[in-house]
Amino acid sequence: MTGYAKPLPEITDLTKPLWEASKRGELVIQKCKKCSHMQWYPRHSCVNCASREMEWIKVSGKGRVYSFTIARQVIGNSPEFQKDIPFVVAEIDLEEGVRLYSNVVGVNPDDVKIGMQVEVTFEECTPEISLPKFKPAKT
Amino acid sequence: MKDVVISGYSETPFSRARVDKGEPRLTAEEYYAWALELLLQNTGLEKKDLKGQGVGVIGSEWPHSEIWSAEVVQNLGLEPKFLVRADHGGANAAALLVQGAFAIHAGFVEHFLLIGADAPLSITAPGSRTWRYEEDYMKPFGTMGPNSMIAMVMRRYMHQHNAKPEHFGKISITQRQHASLNPNAYLKKPLTMEEYLNSRLISDPLRLLDICIWVNGGFALLLSRRDRAKEITDKPVSILGFGEWHNPEAENQLKDITTTGIKIAAEQAYKMAGKRPSDMKFFQPYDDYTVAVLMQLEEAGFCSKGEGGRFIEQTDISHRGDLPVNTSGGQLSAGQAGMAGGFLHIVEAVRQIRGEAGERQVKDANIGLVTALGGLAFGGTFIHNYAIILGGE
Ligand SMILES: [Zn+2]
Repeated sequence: MTGYAKPLPEITDLTKPLWEASKRGELVIQKCKKCSHMQWYPRHSCVNCASREMEWIKVSGKGRVYSFTIARQVIGNSPEFQKDIPFVVAEIDLEEGVRLYSNVVGVNPDDVKIGMQVEVTFEECTPEISLPKFKPAKT
Repeated sequence: MKDVVISGYSETPFSRARVDKGEPRLTAEEYYAWALELLLQNTGLEKKDLKGQGVGVIGSEWPHSEIWSAEVVQNLGLEPKFLVRADHGGANAAALLVQGAFAIHAGFVEHFLLIGADAPLSITAPGSRTWRYEEDYMKPFGTMGPNSMIAMVMRRYMHQHNAKPEHFGKISITQRQHASLNPNAYLKKPLTMEEYLNSRLISDPLRLLDICIWVNGGFALLLSRRDRAKEITDKPVSILGFGEWHNPEAENQLKDITTTGIKIAAEQAYKMAGKRPSDMKFFQPYDDYTVAVLMQLEEAGFCSKGEGGRFIEQTDISHRGDLPVNTSGGQLSAGQAGMAGGFLHIVEAVRQIRGEAGERQVKDANIGLVTALGGLAFGGTFIHNYAIILGGE
């Protein structure tokens, strides 16, 4: 796994539980202890009530493709992505009601459709970081 | 301004981030969240009480923690009607106070939240750099800035509202035609639909000719008190109405990305001006991408939601047409002068109203609508949404 050269998230006090869960193959999102609102991306407070008391909850990892694009050219990101082109960048709506940006993998980009059911799969990039990606759900 | 008072305040404990002494080493983002939570506790207000009010944030002097207003409202889930940022160093708070007081005095908002935080002693702390949501939750997956995000908006728009590539093409082609009549425009060579359809896919379904072109350039505008303006010009242009909205649907984690906040901003502007969409002689919509023009035609009230494609098909949007759109060529063809790009639309509106638009002059152009968009939203479209109605005497 040496030489992973694409950008990686920074591990902070806030996001440590997220990346540790990812390493275990679990996807977690934030839930507000005060008003139960769930949110993604992780923040220091709840976007619904502004409380700073947030917890992490494990989610199913199941969702649907809300929209997607097929990257045909690298502009404004690492040249390392060149070898992946064409690849799918998508907005994935999880069953729990939050939206993530990720990749749809394990399928020809031309076969990806809006509304397609997907499930999380983790790509181990480094010993510390596994990224949540999505593949077509088993029917 | 005796009608404006300070009604609440908060302050977090201070720290020099001496972890060895048990002091917290927090980032500016964390202090923003803390300060807001404390203010709500101290005032007994709930976050929803601040929806549709005013917010002012500060610019830091530290490049690593250059927090933008879009970032602050998105992180905190604030949804203001009026949003400003000060970059006045030690005078940041005073500068915001004055701007907020004006907004309240003018009756535009009833409350104005000033919020400022910085953490110069946490420069090297993990998470102290800003734009975390893009760095951590977008770029690792190969998102390529606005192109990827708008490509997804475009795909979803086409899926939800049956738009065709030719609809986007007509916007691109017509604006180029306008640019060919604008001596300052960067791209002047007229385009055909075939050229549009054959232009290369950058981020499928987004084509090269759907994207604005970056240029260097500068603009200026002068505002004057009406009586003093007479000394300068006999063609003053009036600000008949304006509206703005930031971070629409702040709490919604599953936004409809075929919409923007222009609907809310435009409704405010029409109301203030006492005008309707049908009164507008031209429309200068913010055009970083063709799909943005399409969405705004709907939201500014020229057609209903989802009808943009059909509207484009049936309407002449040239300077001689039923609804002239981006008569300068817009950012798609005249060019986007970096962060000054949004001046283009206002300057063109002023030119049209003064009758100084040369070969692309719109007939009887005595009133028109300008919009502006800024700050791409995570899982949404744009954080900042503005509508301005300008008119002649
Ligand atoms: Zn909450």
